[in-house]
Amino acid sequence: MTSRVDAPLKVTGQARYGADHNFPGMAYGYLVLSTIARGRIVAMDVTAAKSAPGVLGVYSPFDPLELHAVSTPMLGETWVPLQDDQVAYYGQAIGFVVAETFEQARDAAMLVEVSYQALPAATSMADGMATAEDAPPSRDGSPSSLEILAPGVESIDEAFAASPVVVEATYSTAPQNHAAMEPHSAVAVWGDGGVTVYSGNQGAMLQVMELAAALGVGPERVHAVNPFVGGAFGGKGRTSAPAFLAAAAARALGRPVKAALAREQVFTATAGRAATVQKLTLGADHQGTLIAMRHDSWCSTAMDRSFVEPTSHGTSREYYATQNLALSQKIVPLNLPPTTFMRAPGEAPGSFALESAIDELAVALNMDPIELRLRNNATAPVGKDLQWSSKHLDECFHVGAARFGWAQRTPQGRTDGDWLVGMGVASALFPALRFPASVEITLRADDTAVVSTGGSDPGTGLLTVLSLVGGESLDIAADRVTPRLGDSAYPPGGMSAGSTATASASTAVMIAATQVIDDLLGLASAPDAPFHGVEVSYEGGRVLGGGRSLSFGELLRALDRESLSATGSSAPGDEYTKHSFSSFGAQFCEVRVHRWTREARVSRMLGVFDAGRIINEKTARSQIAGGMIWGVSAALHEALEFEAGGRPANADLAGYLVPVNADIPDIDVHFLRYPDTLHNAVGAKGIGEIGTVGMAAAVANAVYNATGIRVRHIPITIEDLLID
Amino acid sequence: MRPFELTAPATVDAALATPGTFLAGGTTLVDLMKLNVLTPQHVLDINELPLRGIDTSAGLRVGALERMADIAAHPGVYPAISRALLLSASQQLRNMASIGGNLLQRTRCTYFRDVAMPCNKREPGSGCPAVNGANRMHAIFGASEHCVATHASDVAVALVALDAEIRLVSEDGERVVALRDFYRQPGDTPDVENDLRPGELITEVHVPRKDWAAHSTYVKVRDRQSYEFALCSAAVALDVQDGRIVDARVAAGGVATVPWRLPAVEESLRGKPVGLASFEEAASKAVDTAELLAGNAFKASLLKRTIVRALLELTEGGLR
Repeated sequence: MTSRVDAPLKVTGQARYGADHNFPGMAYGYLVLSTIARGRIVAMDVTAAKSAPGVLGVYSPFDPLELHAVSTPMLGETWVPLQDDQVAYYGQAIGFVVAETFEQARDAAMLVEVSYQALPAATSMADGMATAEDAPPSRDGSPSSLEILAPGVESIDEAFAASPVVVEATYSTAPQNHAAMEPHSAVAVWGDGGVTVYSGNQGAMLQVMELAAALGVGPERVHAVNPFVGGAFGGKGRTSAPAFLAAAAARALGRPVKAALAREQVFTATAGRAATVQKLTLGADHQGTLIAMRHDSWCSTAMDRSFVEPTSHGTSREYYATQNLALSQKIVPLNLPPTTFMRAPGEAPGSFALESAIDELAVALNMDPIELRLRNNATAPVGKDLQWSSKHLDECFHVGAARFGWAQRTPQGRTDGDWLVGMGVASALFPALRFPASVEITLRADDTAVVSTGGSDPGTGLLTVLSLVGGESLDIAADRVTPRLGDSAYPPGGMSAGSTATASASTAVMIAATQVIDDLLGLASAPDAPFHGVEVSYEGGRVLGGGRSLSFGELLRALDRESLSATGSSAPGDEYTKHSFSSFGAQFCEVRVHRWTREARVSRMLGVFDAGRIINEKTARSQIAGGMIWGVSAALHEALEFEAGGRPANADLAGYLVPVNADIPDIDVHFLRYPDTLHNAVGAKGIGEIGTVGMAAAVANAVYNATGIRVRHIPITIEDLLID
Repeated sequence: MRPFELTAPATVDAALATPGTFLAGGTTLVDLMKLNVLTPQHVLDINELPLRGIDTSAGLRVGALERMADIAAHPGVYPAISRALLLSASQQLRNMASIGGNLLQRTRCTYFRDVAMPCNKREPGSGCPAVNGANRMHAIFGASEHCVATHASDVAVALVALDAEIRLVSEDGERVVALRDFYRQPGDTPDVENDLRPGELITEVHVPRKDWAAHSTYVKVRDRQSYEFALCSAAVALDVQDGRIVDARVAAGGVATVPWRLPAVEESLRGKPVGLASFEEAASKAVDTAELLAGNAFKASLLKRTIVRALLELTEGGLR
């Protein structure tokens, strides 16, 4: 149990986030956002703004900053502000005011007068369903619809017709915003070598590629720095509008520029999670064995169709064994802010629908919902012959049921004074992925080591993992290892995305450590070196040979060297042709609903996870607990409400509710700890997202158990539970 | 936020003699200045004025600059008041916000707070998008076609239930006004929210000593457990003798444009035995005059339930 290595800096305010950087002569930028959802900007009167005190520049589509189109292999096209007069959503960045102080920039931004030619905007998911489009094929080329049928079965409908018990229902989930504590922000400073941009992001190399393309310079001229990130959750993968604008304005003005979104701007001038609608049909026999499943999904997307929230393929193909399966994914383009990755994209809303439907099937069968899940345990995704490398979901349920006291549950719930109390459960699954990663290890003459890679630790605990795996790989105490992240000067790796960072970076750490130890031994036994002519080995941070030993620091000093560095790289290999890989979990919660006023409050929750080797219990537990809180939030609180005109009605943290401490009870997290070395040498799988996956359905299922009311949308609010 | 001049008068007379906008805790004013909703040219920091003191010797007498947190923690403050204060905002805000400022806090209506949108309260005649817009948080009582915004204060609901009055001072002299009569329903002038005259300052809040005041509570229903405005709330106070309700005070929050007394509910309770049947019957009178909007129709049911819950908690003793 190792405490987070960056915690002292964070809790004492010494951690410097992107916008904490200040430079002599720095100017401040403030964004102007659109107030229509669709149309053309006819004119922008900037006269008053330009003559306001302290104003240095007012940029608009009519007087833009130099920025070029951005497209990268990893993220595709990323929108760059101020390059045309088109408005595609309310709250889109359309202007940028730079002044000597933040207050002057903000005040001047309020003076910009915009004239629009407004056009009818499509903002309603319900209205757009009728003209939904097929989602584009996914990255691996698979089509948006698929049907897998048992031999001799002609159609999915035939399979349902042959199912003695069928449940069918439609579920929906609300649009969300990441609402990270740190708003999107940047400080840009140009110098002889190019530009340095301090801005929270999920991987410094991504930022370099996008900024270089936007600024029309080579990537070697862009230095991205983000040693601390105040929450990302998928929302800081792409370069933000303030970062593009600060970098371009700093170049235009010849002085450093800082820009940050105001809190209300974060809700539109970035990107969030799509709204989804999902229709589930499940067919089973009387013993609960699934015969057929159908999962039809619709998600909102921006008019540029830049992102699909894939709720059916990632869940219903993976969760249960069934002979017959039909999946579809459609998109509903709307004049709303863009959608993007958000913690468990696809899996979180998809699991709410599927795991609610499974609960409904359990009710229809009068069967315990855990028993129903165990009876349909899958050894491989439906229609694939690649079995999971390591799957202990059944054990998650058995351990979880015992820890949670599931045996006390009754199908009708119970009462405690004026509170109706229910228990709910759901499965969670998240694919175990890995990205290419490079890590540099430097052994120093003071007997410490440095482990560096360009990715980020937006609260995930990766920095701590690097020190632990670095220490383990070098066979020295972790406190002798200084981990470094968040700088494009380091090798590219450890990107915070897809629950991959620990598996990807740790594997590279092991390879780099092997390399640097080889190099060290080579140095040790070179001519004129202390161990010349003897056989050498390495153990406990020391070089051994000829009956004596030197620490690596002593050896480096003897050789008059300050340090020795090596880089190791890893990438996914052919393991994906041999197995399927996932993390699994069983999530439990107890919900109390007040008999009179119908507030639903979570009173207990437990997650039991099979997620490979757990490198550091303490930060891993925090990751999972945070994910579970996210799930409670999705279930009971979070919804970005768009009006017919496309304006978000609750774009601040008073209106966009996330749980406060009082909403969250003690959280029990338990790991099974089966290392998955078929996936990677370290044996770790992802835990960044799976904690949120099963939670919303577990809450909704507990609400049903407590009240008998099945709510098929999230968030569940008081009016859903009022019955008069 | 526009540039403004800030001065800090040392005496009440000096404060009254200077034109400007009073700043106490700043939790409403500064917030709305940052949003450009309020753009005062001259701000008068009144925190040094001697408007302090909490006296429970005859009812409750509180200086207007006393902080919400201090009043809530003071022994002898009537339960409905201390509970309403403790259920408001966050500890940090309660440490700053004054009781006088609390009573004058502006609505949380999303349209009022966004200068890109019309709002009759902010810009008379510009229109009210809430009537047909996002109105889940809005009023079912006391609204007009020009404004449906709720009054956001919790403690004002408790104070109105307990027949509180406020002392006001201006250069023309002092006056005392029943808090219930102080607030103005929007009608066709939603920009006029209360009876405060130009340059007038609240100096004191007074709650009379009554038998029911000490036997009171406040229940707040909201979408999360803390740090959230009321979807619906109820302040109730009962004088019970031999199991029978002699007198009752009931007011509701989160549902009306001003803190909303419910005389029909009070009347129904009087003379009835304490018990669920009496409470449900009385609560059923709460919403006779309610006007429901598309997003807040559920508040009719919720208000009745909130009143019943508050009465049950008050009479069954203890809180669950």
